[in-house]
Amino acid sequence: MEDSTIITLISLGVTFLFMLGTPVLLVIFYWVVGCSFVIGLPLDNTGAEMLNVFNKGFALLAMPLFILTGDLINKSGIARRLSDFAYSCLGWLRGGLAMAAIGACGLFAAISGSNSATTATIGSMLHPEMVKGGYDERFAAATAAAGGTVGIIIPPSIIFIVYGFLMNLPISELFVAGIIPGILMVLGMMVTCFIICTINGWGFLIKLSFMRVLKTAIGAWLGFFAIGLVLWGIYTGKFSPTEAAGVTVGFCIIVGLISYPLNKMMGAALDAPIEEKSISSMFVVEGFTGFDIPSIVVRSAQITGILAPLIAVSVVMQQVLSAMGAQETIGAFVTSMGGYYPVLFTSMAMVFVAGMILESLPVTIILAPILAPIAASVGVDPIHFSVIFLVGASIGFITPPYGLNLYVASGVTGVPYFRLLRYSSMYLISLLAVWILVALTPELALWLLPAR
Amino acid sequence: MSIWADAATIVTATLRGDIDFQVVNAYRSEAAWLVFGPLTLLGGYLVYRLYRAVPWLEQNLERTIVVWSYIVMAAIIFFGVIQRFLLSGQPAWSTTIPPLIFMIMAWYGCSFNVRLRTHLSFNEFRTNFSPTGQIAVLTLDAALWLGFCIIVVTTVSREVVRAYSNFQIVLGTDNIMQWWFLLTVPVAFMMMAGRVLENLFEDWGNYRNGDPVVKQAIIGGDV
Repeated sequence: MEDSTIITLISLGVTFLFMLGTPVLLVIFYWVVGCSFVIGLPLDNTGAEMLNVFNKGFALLAMPLFILTGDLINKSGIARRLSDFAYSCLGWLRGGLAMAAIGACGLFAAISGSNSATTATIGSMLHPEMVKGGYDERFAAATAAAGGTVGIIIPPSIIFIVYGFLMNLPISELFVAGIIPGILMVLGMMVTCFIICTINGWGFLIKLSFMRVLKTAIGAWLGFFAIGLVLWGIYTGKFSPTEAAGVTVGFCIIVGLISYPLNKMMGAALDAPIEEKSISSMFVVEGFTGFDIPSIVVRSAQITGILAPLIAVSVVMQQVLSAMGAQETIGAFVTSMGGYYPVLFTSMAMVFVAGMILESLPVTIILAPILAPIAASVGVDPIHFSVIFLVGASIGFITPPYGLNLYVASGVTGVPYFRLLRYSSMYLISLLAVWILVALTPELALWLLPAR
Repeated sequence: MSIWADAATIVTATLRGDIDFQVVNAYRSEAAWLVFGPLTLLGGYLVYRLYRAVPWLEQNLERTIVVWSYIVMAAIIFFGVIQRFLLSGQPAWSTTIPPLIFMIMAWYGCSFNVRLRTHLSFNEFRTNFSPTGQIAVLTLDAALWLGFCIIVVTTVSREVVRAYSNFQIVLGTDNIMQWWFLLTVPVAFMMMAGRVLENLFEDWGNYRNGDPVVKQAIIGGDV
């Protein structure tokens, strides 16, 4: 039997395992092991990579730290304040609470860098309120799932870190390039949300009140400060992304520990309506005690313990693909498409299809090293391509059959996976529109970058 | 040398701590599979028995490792930045030790997720299988996890021995050896094998008692 036939059989075999529900980590790992045997690559390479992925670079460390940041801002009450602010600004519109959930996802994403943390936090916080507010529970859960996609586009972003790490691009520039596309994704989803809610008449309207907006903005000041700290540090080059993540973790822990006794001293009622809260009480968040820190950290460790091994095996998979000459084959196929736009759209189609069946990290690790050089060869700016690629990868979070955010949203809201699809597919349309817009307009990604 | 002689060399030299070129070659040979395959399964079983005997460890061992490695890693980076801004500079190891701690945290976290069954998977078809179908796929999962553990323990042990024999020092330090950190990875995978056995025995217990076999796991739920 020829090698290509055996590799096809191995690929079909692991696809069957995937359909049986075998963890993706094992599916990729056994594909790597099988193909390594066929092409004569020693398994020692796999073992070495399980260590090297972590040892090789400081940049990847930003990933666990930004995940931890997400959990810290959630526990400290900063995330709640950000969503209150978003609701104050948008609650007067039809579907305001749902739009606020998307806005809160955008704000949360600007401090954390994880799609699943964003979906889990905003979903668990706002889904019950949306259902209480007259929204369809499937729509409410789909909103959290779709909103979470911006978690990896609005900086800081875990996937940008991995992309920069792989492609040797400055992560700080990638972060800056993600700002406008991330905002556009938020706006695009808000428009979809408004249309759906207007058609269905969902949601209770609240009056737009300057005082309420001001109060909630003051309440969210620590969140804004954290966003500013991350962006300022990275934009000015004061910190590397990893250091920015470390600083944000330190900031959140200090804020949480200081706020807890202050909040107790002020006797602020957590569930009181915004109108009844004094402005002074809005300056302090709930916070947490030192005893709460292990339980916060262990949640982050759980997410990191899922994603980091997946990165390790995906890196080995990419190496095996390279050794098999997949780079040349895919490269020849994409290049044969012709010039700038055919290459761009073929690459986008590949990312989209891969995103339907794989998690965004493997998609990035496997396809980015193949597609990025081809895109560069036809004149696509590498930073612009990174944004196109990663917006596509983020859309993969809500594309079935394997949409991670759909699983997370289903898990935190209790709405079955398949019932989410009706409304998540509506958000998908707006995200695809933004994706095409970003692909056709390089300025959207490159405008904020410092002169190069 | 024969495969058995190499296996004997691996065991005796490792126990003596006497690693030379010949031993490194023995590790590179097929004999390593003969040693580390059974050792991983035995280690996993011992971890399983330990967890049964001391439930506190079952609840807290991996948790404590991941929490402290996370905190130490974040603290080194945070104080490194503070030192750079407020003092004249930061220690060189503040950028080389955290990745090694991240490595520890990642693999112990991976083991922790095996127990919680929260590794990403597509469970939609599995949940609709009959109990017999479900226990069959769960047993298949366990076999695949154990194979994963054996492959990683064997291949990573070779890396550990290489780092040991080359006296590889962590960059930015004078006397901190890399193998101290690398050695934690095979241990993590033996603990993972213990978790796999624990899950497998639990699943078979559920199956025999007629309890639900596949349960919904929530990522980021109460852990």
